[in-house]
Amino acid sequence: MLPTNVKQMLNQQIQAAEHPRELAIDIMMAVQDHYGYLSDEALEEAAAIVGVDPLKLEELATFYTFLYREPVGRYVIHICDSVICWMNGYESLRDHLCKKLGIQMGETTPDGLFTLLPVCCIGYCDRSPAMLINKKAYGPLTPAKIDEILETLRAEAAETTPS
Amino acid sequence: MPKLIIDEREITVPEGTKVIDAAERMGIMIPRFCYHPALGAVGACRVCAVNCLDGPIKGIQMSCMIDAQDGMKVSTTDAEAVDFRKHVIEWLMLHHPHDCPVCDEGGHCLLQDLTVSGGHGVRRFQGPKRTHTDQHLGPLVRHEMNRCIQCYRCVRYYQEFTGYEDLGVMQIGSRVYYGRYRPGTLESPFSGNLIDICPTGVYTDKPSRYRGRRWDFERRPAVCLHCALGCHVTVSARYREVVRQEARFSESINGHFICDRGRYGFPYVNLPQRPRSARVDGTETGWEAALKTAGERLESVAWKTGPQGIAVVGSARCGLETQGMLKRVADAKGWQGPVLDIDPAAANVRTAVSRLDSDLQVSLREIETADCIVVVSADPLNEAPMLAPALRQARRNGARVTVIDPRPASLPFQFDHFPVAPDDLAAAMAILIRKCAEKEPLSELGKTAVRSIEAVSDGADIPDADGLAALYDDLHNSRRPVIVCGTHTAPPEIPGMAADLALLLRIAGPRAGLFYVMPGPNSFGAALLSDPAPSFGDLVSAIEKGEIKALVVAESDLFGSGIDWDRLRNAMNKLELLVTLDYIDSPTTRAAHILIPTLTSYETPSLLINNEGRVQQSPAAFRGGDPIARTGGGDHPPRAFRRDIPGREMGAAWTALLTLGGRDPGSAPVNLTAWLGEAHPALTSLPEASDFPPDGVRLPLAENAVERFQTDRFSHGEKEEDALTLLVVDRTFGTEELSSLSSILKELTPSPFIHIHPEDAAELGLSEGDAVGIDSEAGTTVLPINLTPEMARGVLVIPRRRDLDDRLPQERRTVLSKTAIRKATEDA
Repeated sequence: MLPTNVKQMLNQQIQAAEHPRELAIDIMMAVQDHYGYLSDEALEEAAAIVGVDPLKLEELATFYTFLYREPVGRYVIHICDSVICWMNGYESLRDHLCKKLGIQMGETTPDGLFTLLPVCCIGYCDRSPAMLINKKAYGPLTPAKIDEILETLRAEAAETTPS
Repeated sequence: MPKLIIDEREITVPEGTKVIDAAERMGIMIPRFCYHPALGAVGACRVCAVNCLDGPIKGIQMSCMIDAQDGMKVSTTDAEAVDFRKHVIEWLMLHHPHDCPVCDEGGHCLLQDLTVSGGHGVRRFQGPKRTHTDQHLGPLVRHEMNRCIQCYRCVRYYQEFTGYEDLGVMQIGSRVYYGRYRPGTLESPFSGNLIDICPTGVYTDKPSRYRGRRWDFERRPAVCLHCALGCHVTVSARYREVVRQEARFSESINGHFICDRGRYGFPYVNLPQRPRSARVDGTETGWEAALKTAGERLESVAWKTGPQGIAVVGSARCGLETQGMLKRVADAKGWQGPVLDIDPAAANVRTAVSRLDSDLQVSLREIETADCIVVVSADPLNEAPMLAPALRQARRNGARVTVIDPRPASLPFQFDHFPVAPDDLAAAMAILIRKCAEKEPLSELGKTAVRSIEAVSDGADIPDADGLAALYDDLHNSRRPVIVCGTHTAPPEIPGMAADLALLLRIAGPRAGLFYVMPGPNSFGAALLSDPAPSFGDLVSAIEKGEIKALVVAESDLFGSGIDWDRLRNAMNKLELLVTLDYIDSPTTRAAHILIPTLTSYETPSLLINNEGRVQQSPAAFRGGDPIARTGGGDHPPRAFRRDIPGREMGAAWTALLTLGGRDPGSAPVNLTAWLGEAHPALTSLPEASDFPPDGVRLPLAENAVERFQTDRFSHGEKEEDALTLLVVDRTFGTEELSSLSSILKELTPSPFIHIHPEDAAELGLSEGDAVGIDSEAGTTVLPINLTPEMARGVLVIPRRRDLDDRLPQERRTVLSKTAIRKATEDA
């Protein structure tokens, strides 16, 4: 269940909208921010807020890359696999990430820190190869830079996680 | 009118025609998966590629996406286009399971056809195929996602065309998945069309699985009997059984689709309970012998009581041949009747038929082009299902749709609803008529009209009278308004008032149309061919008085007549002779002294007049007979030689009536068409069976001007205090006589309940889900209640289920005292 204040805020947004459906993505994003991912229950809650059949949101949620219908790690790494990044060597960076994290694409590290997913173009072509971690873009990437970024994030996680 | 060249032949087509359609007009079928005339073009499948060699557009183009233009030179056979299509097909087939031998679509599969004709014979893709998990979609449609080629037809049909949202498209890229959020029965009563519209085997017909390939079937056109619209179907029969039905295109009626009631209502033809041999006093005899005995016994009754002691009864599901013959025989013999429509709505239908004229008639397809529609006292989805998608198409084209009805209306699109109590419906119509009268000079209509309109002026005390007044402005300002009027539960003045309103609108300017919703497939014919008196109620009274001693009932179940069952049983016990001719097992056939089995409209040609006044011919689909599955007891049928078909010693009801009327079966064949012309002047110019047009013929109708603006119709019943009106209404599944016998639709028939307005419930001290007992003539019915705010106050609505009929009041509208409604106690 969403906390009452979050639910209230979302309901207000819907009431203010001319067509509630136009806010479908925003509502799902907000619900996802709360839960970390869109579980079936979360999706159904979002559908109730928007006032549509859960299927209508499922259609969107399974289409868009940044809506997660399965649990993800604390940091979701989206590595860009579109044409410019590919020309600039995305494949070797992807392999590097997989090796470094010990997971395959689409998997989450056992410590729950990192999830590795592809994304098709984040508009960062001028600094390709690029990736996106929790809405922040990084590029141009090299294996060394990736190692550095991962270390920083690990340290950040260690700092903020109560032991 | 652009003129273009396709494959070196010239053609001129109307502006806005797509190249794919222009080619089809010339007999060139350009391959297509996603394109469908009812859904429009999206250019998703890329398989309709053609090469534009010259003209305003050049190069490889999708022929469903480009309009035909002057000077175009299109080649469908150009090497580049052929090669393009070949590769598209190969790529669509990448993940296809190649399971044609075990696929139910095999043999009538568009993908199969195009794969072969496109020249894709050898599979080059070596990678792993993506696979999907299938969903359970209910008793009608079988899901097999692996066969999908992502054409989007199903979801566009389901969501855009019919407006249901429980089947959609999920995922992206090669993972695209068509299905429901969770497995479960599809909510749309039009879901069977998915089977027809899917170009491959993702959605296949579940009830007919393992029953044969398309080429095994006898496939014939037919007209649907499960409501009055007369939609077109294609029947598939095998081994003396109807196995499957599909939608058949009709330009004027149903377009490309049909409802699930029409598609799956057929099993009554195959039922083991269906009477297949004639019975005299419970003993099986031959058909001819039974007819002979019936004739003799009728003669003996006539000798004792005179011909007035015999009455004949038909129904709205009899073909025009049977109805005409009932009339002819009754007239010739001096028997009473015929009563051709025993439905409680018969009087309303009669008014409707007398008020329709050729100017006001609109077809179902024409409703799609209306821009302002008022639905009065009708429930489209439940009474004439295919009317709902037609209204939706009008809505999609920008029409305003308004429903004035006490029931909790549900339609798959946005509409306005005025939940007006049955007693107030006339007042609501009066507001519209009155408003029209204020705006237009009505003197030309004569004094009666003016008096009539003045007489109905008092109607402003109904809820939301201002809203109705505003609705009139929309009607007045529209180009093509249509009044849709129901007859099932409508108070008697409503069908006439609907016609009055349409006429007034016509005087006011817009080209108004009128569309009546009727109960049976041939209600129209029954009203046309029979006189207002006697009604079936009159016959029952005459039986009770002992004036009628014998009854001949053709294809009619008297227990659907609105007469209380106990009264009817007592009356029938008084009869000396009950001769029943029918093809279904019913309380009436079980009570018959002489039972004459008859052929269904699948086995003998029949003419039907739909609600619009269109005569259609439903040819015989197969020869009939006891299904082989039964004669063989599930095994090979008996290896005994015989020259006749087992279980087919019967004829059409009209031939039996002809014999009962005293005609020697051996005499020269009769000219039915000429006889029908003699029965009613509107039927004089019917075409011969061999050249009946596919969409039938509209009857030349003239409105009965005498019935216009009749003041005495507005018999405002005094409202009883502390009373509630009980409406027993139709449902999509479970109410209509023939389809309620369908085993396939059983699962979709909801359990019964009572709709009640929350405020009425509160006054009665009832809450959601309470079991409530209703005392009526028929005894006590206990049903759970369903609080429904979207309905009129002072009304109880029970969706009718045939199998529970004996427990409900038979009248469609009953006034109940509030004391008759109470919470059922635990022990009750």
